[in-house]
Amino acid sequence: MYGEQANKLVVDAKRIQNLPHLPPYASTVVRATTKEVRDLDRETMNLLAQSGDGTQIKSFFNPADDPSTACALLVNHLSMRRNKRCLLAYHRTRTDKLEQMCWAGVDVSNLSQTTNNGQPSGRNSAGPVNSLSAEEEQYVHQYNDLLAAYKGRWTDVDLTGSLEPPKDIFIDVRVLKDAGEIQTEYGSINLTKNSQFYVRQADVERLIQQGYLQRLS
Amino acid sequence: MDQDIQDILASVSAPTIPQRSIDLQALTRAWVQERTSPELLPYPSDLIERTMERLKKQIDNIENMTGTMDPQANFTLVIFQTELERFKFLIRSFLRARIAKIDKFAQHYLAQPDCLSPLEREYLHAHSSLLSAHYSTSFLSSFPIQLQKLDDTTGGISMVDKPDEDTAVFCRVLRDILEPVEVYGESETNDVELRRGDVWVLRWSAVREAVIRGDIELI
Repeated sequence: MYGEQANKLVVDAKRIQNLPHLPPYASTVVRATTKEVRDLDRETMNLLAQSGDGTQIKSFFNPADDPSTACALLVNHLSMRRNKRCLLAYHRTRTDKLEQMCWAGVDVSNLSQTTNNGQPSGRNSAGPVNSLSAEEEQYVHQYNDLLAAYKGRWTDVDLTGSLEPPKDIFIDVRVLKDAGEIQTEYGSINLTKNSQFYVRQADVERLIQQGYLQRLS
Repeated sequence: MDQDIQDILASVSAPTIPQRSIDLQALTRAWVQERTSPELLPYPSDLIERTMERLKKQIDNIENMTGTMDPQANFTLVIFQTELERFKFLIRSFLRARIAKIDKFAQHYLAQPDCLSPLEREYLHAHSSLLSAHYSTSFLSSFPIQLQKLDDTTGGISMVDKPDEDTAVFCRVLRDILEPVEVYGESETNDVELRRGDVWVLRWSAVREAVIRGDIELI
């Protein structure tokens, strides 16, 4: 008790920051931490009720009268706050990660299946497990919509484009996966696997991000 | 150093320089400052609007030129396109730097949205309501009522994350600052005089006003 569960979340969050993928949502720990907060709150209420006249909670409590109760209240209170902080930090780290993926144009609907494959995580070895919670999946969809709406106001700039300063407008690319035909200002190009092209960077930016093309330096 | 003074002179004695060059310089400066300052700077709406208009014109221009397929124009076209890509990069990077700060200190900017553009405000509101809905469906709704707030500032640690105003920034003085700036170290405070052309490392809080006025630029 007293923040042990929440600590797991923080350690997990720290780990997530440096991982390329998103590990499964720790729903049991989250639930345990939330329950701990509720238990602590109930205990606090009981303690306050005892220190009062029994029927109603006193609005004013003098710590000097009863140091042991005061101490228990303080510890409970701080533990609750700490748990809340830990929970918020855990969820925030995960949503940050998801937002990053949205900006990078990763298709998050595929994410839940692919992230678990080939990860020797040990736990949950029985089949692929959805690494996002239902709430997170919903969040990702909503954030994607929000991002698309914001991006739509800046169509000329393409907000999700590369953040590397552009040096050349034309680049050499190699096709890694068949991507079909694309239309450019210089006519259409048929992107078949293993072929190479000298194309305008702005035309193929998205395809590079999605892994269809590889840039040759 | 000579080059720097040229730059500064150019920015001070404006009249002979066409508006577009000034805008480019202003945009570059805004971009550098936004990336280096810990805090969100006021949104230069006029500047961005002018640039976006010019960008649109240039895109049309380029499309027309590719339409004619004049081999003579090809070289010019490449230069135009390179310029266009660079402009797009500047604006993109500038906006992304702002979004990153808005996301990081969402609660703080919700309380004081003066520096944001209307679009950014919209984004911030939508984003933070998404986030709080996510928190509350995930765990916060089963919390005791008094602990459900997200912008609680009581109880030791404030929940509102603020930009660090005392962090150090590199800056160059563009115009003499008449009032000496007070800097404080570990044990004592001191005054420094800022003369044009000087380069300093100072606390952001000490130069903040002058940067917004345009007397000092961040580098």
